Amino acid sequence: MIMNNPNTKTDTYSCEEAPCVMACPIRQDARDYVQLIARGLFKEAFRLVRERNVLPSSCGRICTHPCETKCRRNDTDAPIAIAWLKRFLGDNYSEKVGVNPNQKYPEKIAIIGAGPAGLAAANDLALMGYSCTIFESNPTPGGMLRMGVPTYRLPRTAIDKEVEFIRQMGVEIKYNTALGKDVTFDSLKKEGYAAIFIGVGLLDSRDLNIEGANYDGVLKGISFLREVNSTGTAKIGKNVLVIGGGAVAMDCARTALRLKPEKVSVACLESRKEMPTTDFEIEETIHEGVALYNSVGPKRILGENGKVTGLETLKVKYVFDEQKRFNPAFYENSEVVIEADTIILAIGQTSNLFFLKNQEGLQVSRGGTIIVDPNTFVTSIPGIYAGGDIVLGRGTMTESMAHGKKAAISIHNALRSEKRKDEKWGDKPEVPKLADTRVPLIKKEQKQDMPMLSLGERLNSFDEVELGFSPEVAVREAQRCMNCGAGAVVDENLCVGCITCVRVCPFDVPEFRRGETTAFIGGDCQSCGLCIVECPAKAIRFKTPLEDRGIERLKSLFADTSTKNTKPVIVNFFCQYSSFRDNSESNAIIDKHVKRIGILGLGKVDPSLYLNALEWGADGVLITACKDDECHFCAEYEWIKKRSEYVGKILNELGMDSRIFQTHFISSQTDTTFLDIATQMVKDIENLK
Amino acid sequence: MIVADSKPFHEIEQMLSEFKKVYIVGCGSCVTICHTGGEKQVAELAAKIRLTAKLKGKSIEVIEDSILRQCEWEFIEEVKNVVEDCDAVLSLACGIGVQYMAERFPNVRVFPGVNTTFMGGPTEQGVFWERCAGCGNCIIGTTGGLCPVSRCAKSLLNGPCGGSQNGKCEVSQETPCVWNQIYDQLDTQQLLSTMENIVPPKDWRTGAENHPRKMVLEHLVMKK
Ligand code: SF4
Ligand code: SF4
Ligand code: SF4
Ligand code: SF4
Repeated sequence: MIMNNPNTKTDTYSCEEAPCVMACPIRQDARDYVQLIARGLFKEAFRLVRERNVLPSSCGRICTHPCETKCRRNDTDAPIAIAWLKRFLGDNYSEKVGVNPNQKYPEKIAIIGAGPAGLAAANDLALMGYSCTIFESNPTPGGMLRMGVPTYRLPRTAIDKEVEFIRQMGVEIKYNTALGKDVTFDSLKKEGYAAIFIGVGLLDSRDLNIEGANYDGVLKGISFLREVNSTGTAKIGKNVLVIGGGAVAMDCARTALRLKPEKVSVACLESRKEMPTTDFEIEETIHEGVALYNSVGPKRILGENGKVTGLETLKVKYVFDEQKRFNPAFYENSEVVIEADTIILAIGQTSNLFFLKNQEGLQVSRGGTIIVDPNTFVTSIPGIYAGGDIVLGRGTMTESMAHGKKAAISIHNALRSEKRKDEKWGDKPEVPKLADTRVPLIKKEQKQDMPMLSLGERLNSFDEVELGFSPEVAVREAQRCMNCGAGAVVDENLCVGCITCVRVCPFDVPEFRRGETTAFIGGDCQSCGLCIVECPAKAIRFKTPLEDRGIERLKSLFADTSTKNTKPVIVNFFCQYSSFRDNSESNAIIDKHVKRIGILGLGKVDPSLYLNALEWGADGVLITACKDDECHFCAEYEWIKKRSEYVGKILNELGMDSRIFQTHFISSQTDTTFLDIATQMVKDIENLK
Repeated sequence: MIVADSKPFHEIEQMLSEFKKVYIVGCGSCVTICHTGGEKQVAELAAKIRLTAKLKGKSIEVIEDSILRQCEWEFIEEVKNVVEDCDAVLSLACGIGVQYMAERFPNVRVFPGVNTTFMGGPTEQGVFWERCAGCGNCIIGTTGGLCPVSRCAKSLLNGPCGGSQNGKCEVSQETPCVWNQIYDQLDTQQLLSTMENIVPPKDWRTGAENHPRKMVLEHLVMKK
């Protein structure tokens, strides 16, 4: 295989980090797992994701994906669907992440809450060698994921699978066990827990202190979601109005829609652009039939006989003041009434600190969040840690996981007096923005759409709306990634300053910076590999072991005796950018006689390798790549062709039959398939003997 | 830089036919830049040699290497142990490097892997042209910066000759007539009249007529 553990190497070989990685609160290896998917190495990709992320399936669905916001592909067309790719892995793979059985510490750790923060902490502590017990007040795990997120966005089977994974690592989960009721800090200490991590989340919806808030028909968003999520229904009227502009508000509205009222609307302070949720989420909400009122603030709730009849609103002047603080102002006399018989408040969550009753000494902020040291996550009581929403106030799932992970290291350091660090969180320069002059040189490739349930099917059930990527679609999407920051690098000790790289790069990346005598390749490198092959001094290499350029795989192929015993044996170097369909085709002849080495861009392959293949035992070498206009890098086609002609000449010079070395450019538009070509070549070679 | 062309493979094959362990060594300067004697070329040639041996049922061990400059004693000294452990050396350096190797390692057979051809440079990726003949008495100050000695097929000093046609040399349609180019250049520089000066015969003794040439920089020579 190409690599053992790509994760461990990342920091040593890359001097600039990809922005998608830097933007992620848990510093998920977005680039590298996307690159693995692009090569069809799904298991490896899953393993890489799972190493840092305890909830890949859930995260791939509901993360607000700051990675995509920062993705450099935004500058050419659209960001890589990084989150959906992670979901693809999480849903389809379940490679075990092993706990090292030889690394066991005696201390037990108590985790309060089986939500993202608690699960992340438990996972990382278990991986380090601690025994962890999670105390969860609900009968089921997931925390807000289960209580708050509707099933049409996150099927419970996804959460269950991921939690089962953690359980199999040896983490114990005690359900229906609430802190402050069934256990206390003292009882946990007495039971021998050396540290406690509190990740209880924000359990309550924020109240709206306006007239009429106590009318019958005013519901709290979280309670509403919780009810529907656990019972499948809730009591609502015919005309539902959700107040709030965030993800929870969208969840409430779309959940309400599925209970079939006549009308569902959303009213929020923010303008469409200011709304604190993703565009995609807003669009889907509108698409499903929710009416959206932007830039309106609730003045009072109207009612008759104690029952809600509508909301009186004011037009918003601004939401944030000049200091960018949340401080909404309204136009006078701009009252408008939105009719409704049910109003759902989704203007944020707030903590419920019942668990601190009779437990002295834990410092809490005025907003009701637990105060912790921002580096160690330790609370005002030594040995007690906290993280996630109960600390953040308003955070995302991924931010909560980051707290859990950081607290886990901190707990370890405190217990062992160590200074362990997760290098991923270190400061690293980010690959700079794509140069404007480069943008037109990079081929536009459409972002893959998420297959969705039809509108009719959606509204009749709580079934998941986003259906997930197929392997083909995932690979296509991943292949759009530019491998930012992990491209080619010049070894200054080997470069002879011949300028070849500068001349051959289709993207004008290599340069001689003023005063320097060796070439320099910046972060805009697209990893096409042309310069690496053409450099006469072999001074350029890829930064990551992911790009093995076929050498290692060819070696291991011929180290295998079964290859040596097959006659004839043909090595096929194929471009993985060519259609996925072609690459998965096979038949008995091909399975037996054709050994396939896929390279993401055949421009990376040194023509000497074709000679090596023959030298090491191949009876034939078959090169298959895309036609010129279908080439991912546009320019590689010419080079692949040229290099094949060159090798053809060499073999001719050595007196070898031209049929043993064939190059075919397969167009997705013609009927000739890889199957035809390869089968014919096997026959050709058998006839030679 | 010095430009060298790869030797025809059958020639190399013949030179090495009786050896079992061959050291192929590239040179990290001119020949790397002209893509015939660098690290990459060494690897390719080694693969060819091994493949041929395999086809002929022979066995040969090839050691691949490249050093910064083969025309320096200090640099070639570094590979002494490897060289002395081999039956033959195939040097992909220009003739100078090959001779340094041969002189330093008299007990090992040293062969040239390239044909050293001319002094020139790349005009575009993969295309090299001769630009200087090393005549030892440079005259291009009067010819618009273009060298008629190396770029005129007849090395004329008072060109062009009658064979110049549409800017091409009569010897090869592919070769631009340098005297035509000189004319255009002097025209641009408004120095056309200088073409009327008859250049007297050149003293060729500073050039290739006087082998071997030697240069001594007295002020740099160190006492032994
Ligand atoms: S193109 Fe790939 S590596 Fe670059 S920012 Fe986007 S996902 Fe990350
Ligand atoms: S091609 Fe290689 S040797 Fe030439 S300038 Fe680029 S890095 Fe240096
Ligand atoms: S790998 Fe390709 S894109 Fe990157 S510098 Fe080399 S030629 Fe340019
Ligand atoms: S005149 Fe002589 S030294 Fe000058 S460029 Fe021509 S050959 Fe070289």
